[in-house]
Amino acid sequence: MPASTHAPEPASLHYRPRAPFLDEMFEVDGRPRPVATALVRELERMGPEGLLEAGRRRDSVFMQQGITFETSGESGYSHERPFPLDLVPRVLSGSEWVEIKRGLAQRIRALNHFVDDIYHAREIVREGLVPWRLVAGCPHFARSVHGIRPPGGVYGHVAGCDLVRHSDGSWKVLEDNMRVPSGISYVLENRAAMARLVPGMFASYRVRPVGHYPQLLLSALRSVAPSTQSEATVVVWTPGPANAAYFEHAFLARQMGVELVEASDLVVRDDVLYMRTTRGLDRVHAVYRRLDDDFMDPLEFRPDSMLGVPGLVRAYRAGSVAIANAPGTGVADDKAIYHFVPEMIRFYLGEEPILENVGTFLLSDPEVLEHVLERLDELVVKPTGESGGRGVMIGPHAQEAEIERMRRVVRSDPGRWIAQDVVRLSTVPTVDASGTLQPRHVDLRPFAVFGERIDIVPGGLTRVALREGSMIVNSSQGGGSKDTWVLEDGQDADRAGPPVADTAPPTLPDLRYGAWTGQQQQQQQERIEQQQQEPTA
Amino acid sequence: MMLARIAHELYWLGRNLARAEFTARAVEAVFQAELQGAGEMPSVSFGSGGLLAMLGGDSRPSDGGEALDSLILDAERPGSMLASIERARAGARTVRDVISAEMWEAINTTALGLRGVAHPGWESPSGPHLASQYVKQRMALIWGVADRSMLRDEAKCFLDAGGLIEVSDMVLRMLRVALPGGDTARADRHALILLQAVGGFHAYLRAVTAPPNAHPVARFLLFERAYPDSVAACVDSLHDAFAAADAGPRNSTPVLRVSRLAADLDFQRRALPDGAELAGICEATQQELTRIDQDVSERYFAGAAPAMSRW
Repeated sequence: MPASTHAPEPASLHYRPRAPFLDEMFEVDGRPRPVATALVRELERMGPEGLLEAGRRRDSVFMQQGITFETSGESGYSHERPFPLDLVPRVLSGSEWVEIKRGLAQRIRALNHFVDDIYHAREIVREGLVPWRLVAGCPHFARSVHGIRPPGGVYGHVAGCDLVRHSDGSWKVLEDNMRVPSGISYVLENRAAMARLVPGMFASYRVRPVGHYPQLLLSALRSVAPSTQSEATVVVWTPGPANAAYFEHAFLARQMGVELVEASDLVVRDDVLYMRTTRGLDRVHAVYRRLDDDFMDPLEFRPDSMLGVPGLVRAYRAGSVAIANAPGTGVADDKAIYHFVPEMIRFYLGEEPILENVGTFLLSDPEVLEHVLERLDELVVKPTGESGGRGVMIGPHAQEAEIERMRRVVRSDPGRWIAQDVVRLSTVPTVDASGTLQPRHVDLRPFAVFGERIDIVPGGLTRVALREGSMIVNSSQGGGSKDTWVLEDGQDADRAGPPVADTAPPTLPDLRYGAWTGQQQQQQQERIEQQQQEPTA
Repeated sequence: MMLARIAHELYWLGRNLARAEFTARAVEAVFQAELQGAGEMPSVSFGSGGLLAMLGGDSRPSDGGEALDSLILDAERPGSMLASIERARAGARTVRDVISAEMWEAINTTALGLRGVAHPGWESPSGPHLASQYVKQRMALIWGVADRSMLRDEAKCFLDAGGLIEVSDMVLRMLRVALPGGDTARADRHALILLQAVGGFHAYLRAVTAPPNAHPVARFLLFERAYPDSVAACVDSLHDAFAAADAGPRNSTPVLRVSRLAADLDFQRRALPDGAELAGICEATQQELTRIDQDVSERYFAGAAPAMSRW
């Protein structure tokens, strides 16, 4: 039944978007947006009780499947909690997604050029667009990979940019993640869980699937692997089961059907990387590593690393193995470098950026520093080399004492900090403890795979700040996640006819049902009689 | 030596158990695939319509969701999962003296659990997931109890043989509906659903390096002997079961026929080039399985031809 024939009634969910923030599902007056009409109807049908019940099943399923993360309680013991998935999905129209996708691909291409440039000719520095001091001072800048061009010329095979939606509806890039962006496993598991827990929500939508990500990643890794054989050996390298993201490492290895290795499984002989197997050493062509540069190779980076493989960078330099992401790529996700990405897009690609940055102040400039220190209560201050929301201070939410402390810290070492304008993150209805919907702030982390071309999985990880008014979405700090739907086409959320075009299946033999019946005994009797008659006939 | 009637019941007990499990698997996979839309890939024809054709009975003109529901918990529909479970329970009752008490209890509990629909939210709109999950777990339990508690005698052979022939028949049905040949882009999508339906996704990834597209998946499900639910592996085990149960396997039609089919599959696996069309082989194999079924009832069940009727 098309929903457009009658105007949707004001929701009985008592949901009110909170001005001045943009709510992605409801208009300011509380009516659902056209794209969300069917979803809102289903949410009304389920009601708070239905949502709570589905939530209980979600928690038990996640616990059983081990989709958990560890938090340390007040007692100091860490305990497992089910991954916090909110049951209200976030819906993006197809046209919106096209814009995001193009913007991301552009950005990732530019960042890849930048990394290549920084470790080779440094043209962007010579042009005076990016100060060398900033690049060289970046903690993830790796001198030891200078002059190495990885197979295929790709540095950031896996990238995830954090996007936010401003109250005027525009998308902005908040951060680039070019080292080891994590969270893709939750995108896939969230979708699988949603389809099982609340299939009714999908009924009126055609949602683009996300499940092909592991195959995309595998073929990208194979495409950059320096292998003359038809099938390159690819491995996923994990720091070990103690790592917080171990679930994701194992998930990706299993989904790709490749080995999950630890440092003790790997060995370099004559500049070639091998893994130890029951049948001797087996050559490895491509490594998807899930640990930082620092720990990769004790001969080149931190000498005290117990997680590294000695000689790996030499093998990489010799071109016998592809490493994803390439060592030294982390320079591209430094928060000070972030400021220059729009310039990079113009410089390397000759294009205008499709996705904008959030206004950023580099504090190494004394004038800017003074200006920023004046208005610290209106800005967000972030350390440049950190991730996961650590050390971030949001001015408007901070206490006066906190701001004063931050002022002193920043002044003592301004190069380690940046300041950004406060972004009014959009909200999406989220189920609270009583089963009712409340506006909560969200961001979006789409995942891109760069092999022969750039592929971006429709949607991505939507992270949601579960506390009222909070804008910190990191899961380590009480954030949750949402399933992110990218619809098949932009405007029309309702299905035009059945999506399933059944072709006529081949004619199959009927199912048989065994039954020991009188009829068969009759047949048996007749057969015996027949046999008895035969000699006489 | 055992009663023909008992052998017949055990054989069909095995068949009904396996059929219930694979019905549940197929329905859940198709439900999930239809739910999540066609996406950037071509649309799905391994859908509810294909499933109804696969599991027989009247294709009632209803929308996909209802059709799938009726394939799970509609006891009136002979091809439904619940009907298979009920037949298995009825069959198990008649051989309570042959199977262990533990096994009877496992089967009976399954039927009672489904009948009562004890768990809230089993029925629509939450989809077939819960019921399907329950049946998969119960089947693992039932076969596990059978393997650990039954004597490795003729009775166990017939039970196993029924399970094996049904698994190969169901896998062939799914293969034929999902991958009817031609139109590779569409078939590639089906191949993934099919693998998930059978539960062989992980095994496939470990056994085959190629991405799960139509041809390699069809080959895997037909020929891969290392994968227990592939047709070739089932036929091999079927041969072992009949050879062990038969008094004179050297001149027993079912044994000889199964052994020829196993050799055929092995020959085709080696002789066929990659990418060769497999639809014909699937059809021929399924027909051969039907003949084996008839031979089995001729030879062991005193000529009780399998009823073609509803029950």
